[in-house]
Amino acid sequence: MTQASTVKDVAVLARLTISEHDIENVTAEFNQTLALFDALQSVDTQGVAPMVNPCKANQPLRTDSVRTLVSREGLMKNAPSEEENYFLVPRVID
Amino acid sequence: MSLTFKSIATLSHDLKTGEVSSRQLVEQAVARIETLNPQLNAVVCLEAEQALANADQADAKRAKGEHSPLLGIPMLHKDIFCTQGMRTTCGSKMLKDFVPPYDATVVQKLRAAGMINLGKCNMDEFAMGSSNETSVFGACKNPWDMTRVPGGSSGGSAAAVASGMVPLATGTDTGGSIRQPAALCGITGLKPTYGRVSRYGMIAFASSMDQAGPMAQSAQDCALVLNAMAGHDPLDSTCDNTPVPNYHQTLEHPIAGLRVGVPKEFFSSHLDTAVATVIDTAIRELERAGATIKAVSLPSTDLAVSTYYVIAPAEASANLSRYDGVRYGYRCEAPNDLQDLYFRSRTEGFGAEVKRRILVGTFTLSAASYDQYFMKAQQVRHLITQEYDHVLDEVDVIAGPAAPNTAFALNDTSKSITDMYMEDVFTIGANLAGLPAISLPAGLVNGLPVGLQLIGRRFGEAQLLNVAHQFQNRTDWHTRRPTLEAVR
Repeated sequence: MTQASTVKDVAVLARLTISEHDIENVTAEFNQTLALFDALQSVDTQGVAPMVNPCKANQPLRTDSVRTLVSREGLMKNAPSEEENYFLVPRVID
Repeated sequence: MSLTFKSIATLSHDLKTGEVSSRQLVEQAVARIETLNPQLNAVVCLEAEQALANADQADAKRAKGEHSPLLGIPMLHKDIFCTQGMRTTCGSKMLKDFVPPYDATVVQKLRAAGMINLGKCNMDEFAMGSSNETSVFGACKNPWDMTRVPGGSSGGSAAAVASGMVPLATGTDTGGSIRQPAALCGITGLKPTYGRVSRYGMIAFASSMDQAGPMAQSAQDCALVLNAMAGHDPLDSTCDNTPVPNYHQTLEHPIAGLRVGVPKEFFSSHLDTAVATVIDTAIRELERAGATIKAVSLPSTDLAVSTYYVIAPAEASANLSRYDGVRYGYRCEAPNDLQDLYFRSRTEGFGAEVKRRILVGTFTLSAASYDQYFMKAQQVRHLITQEYDHVLDEVDVIAGPAAPNTAFALNDTSKSITDMYMEDVFTIGANLAGLPAISLPAGLVNGLPVGLQLIGRRFGEAQLLNVAHQFQNRTDWHTRRPTLEAVR
């Protein structure tokens, strides 16, 4: 059973905040989902290679040539805050 | 003349003979969306003016003698595909104001084929859900019964086609998100082989399983659209360069001698008994068409759910780490510092189900849990894939239900989170193994549609569409329509 403190630690890694009001419920749901994974532990996977994706071994790769797919201005239009084509964030260094 | 529910093939013929114009098709589609959508909530963005301008261009091309099969046909995209200049939200507050500066390859290809995009369809937030209830725009309703879900995550796409708004909508399928809503709304939906259709510009959920496909009224229409969607894309290294056949050309092949495998695990306690009867009848219809039915076994069917719900959230937690409030997407008000900006933008921007999966994925990828969960799930994925491959050595296609039951009620609080995850029990296997699969209407239970699922070999879309089309030549389930009495 995963404790609420562990769930809080995981949330920090994921840059999510769980309020004190929600933590009990979130932890219960978290454990409910982990219980679904218990069945995996009984499978004998000795010597079985992990399958990362279902692609063929040789993926078709293109030549790595420089080209502009999207303009800088086009990308910056969605920036929540920008100045002179740079993304603005709160001050990091005093 | 009503053009609603006419097939793409028929509309294409009518456009060619001049019986109808693309402008008329688009005008009727827009009118129908405006009438039905306030209650159905299938469409979250409608750009009628631009669509009409594009329709006029298509009509001008027809007038000059151009007659490609999709030219001038109206359609909608799932709101997961980036559309240049048209808002793309993925059903999330996180992307509520996001206007992509480029088109997804699927969008570009269907436009190049002449299709007219009218707008975007509702969906579960970041494609995480089986009911379309996790969308920031609210739930989409099932046209067959407004008190029920259309399925998910491509619920808006399924409802739009099922209600006759458009003859075609795109969908994406990571664990059943094309096939389950297609089944619950009584339409035909195809998830192609992983790598058959480009994922470029398709907002990522679980990158090793995400795949785009057509949702339409029939296998024939799906074939016409897949011809345009499929093929290698230099912008997606997982997009395969296997040559694309003409899917429409092989639809009429007889299926005598076809070997159909029926896994006993697909008729387990998860399956509603009335749905089981419909599926059994549908399989007997394939037998009457000359197919040989063979009992097969996929013992890991239940295990696939556990495997999927480790791998998909893990990949999602990595993919969704890009939403940090800095470069695009939602940013919280007046952040105190950079960490506060990250935490509050993500906490306020994501919905509950998305946060639930990010948490689980972050946990299973963490150093202490990686071997126990993520590595283990990837090994089991390998075994499940071998199981499918072994069965498909013995039979040509696997047949069974697409979903364990018909459309369930909206706001069904009796369903736990893991109950909801079990909705995907029959569809997930094809995603883990990267196989193509289709859902097609096979009957009704208490007035609600049931979907027959067919799973094929890698790059075996032509055979799946052929079998589905032959079934639809012999049955009329795909021509049944909801009355929509509650909507009018």
